[in-house]
Amino acid sequence: MTELRDLYQEVILDHGRRPRNFGALPEASHRADGHNPFCGDKVTVFLALEDGRVADVRFQGAGCAISIASASLMTDAVKGKSEAELRAMFERFQVGMTAKDDGDAAEALSKLDKLAVFEGVREFPIRVKCATLPWHTLVAALDRASRPVKTE
Amino acid sequence: VISFVLDGVHPHDVGTILDGEGVCVRAGHHCAQPVMERFGLAATVRASFGVYNGRDDVDALVTALGKVREIFRP
Repeated sequence: MTELRDLYQEVILDHGRRPRNFGALPEASHRADGHNPFCGDKVTVFLALEDGRVADVRFQGAGCAISIASASLMTDAVKGKSEAELRAMFERFQVGMTAKDDGDAAEALSKLDKLAVFEGVREFPIRVKCATLPWHTLVAALDRASRPVKTE
Repeated sequence: VISFVLDGVHPHDVGTILDGEGVCVRAGHHCAQPVMERFGLAATVRASFGVYNGRDDVDALVTALGKVREIFRP
């Protein structure tokens, strides 16, 4: 039960229930679709870049509490960031979710402020992709991917 | 075989919590996307019986579903 509470922290449940920055962004300069065929999670990330910084970001989609909360907290976290900062955040989040060494993961997540709430996801390897799908999709939007990204 | 959904909780979240309670189910679209589309569902939870299952196991499932409700209070 402790591990489950670490996974489903109050912040995650709250963002899963009432996601922030949810909806389309007609003025988006970048967008990408992400899909996890294993569980059916789908997410679209809309990004409006101005002078190389994130002026606005929104997402749409359907998925589990972890993926929706991840997208919600991610969109909050990347507002105002430059493209380079955003890619660095993605790298850190990836390390935080997938590093073999717990210390490396904890250190990476600790530099991501609120996103550290996802540290419990590491204990549930099958759920890691739920948390990382929005980030992969965000980076795909930056890269102006024309095809949907898949986790499989 | 019983496929079901819990209102307001994604089947993958249900599956993870049930697993924590020692109940194994399958969650997702069970390689049956067309029928999921037909019913307008993203995924379901699926429980099934084996010859080794007894009444206790059914009770364990029901209790564990209560745990899901505890964590995912509306």
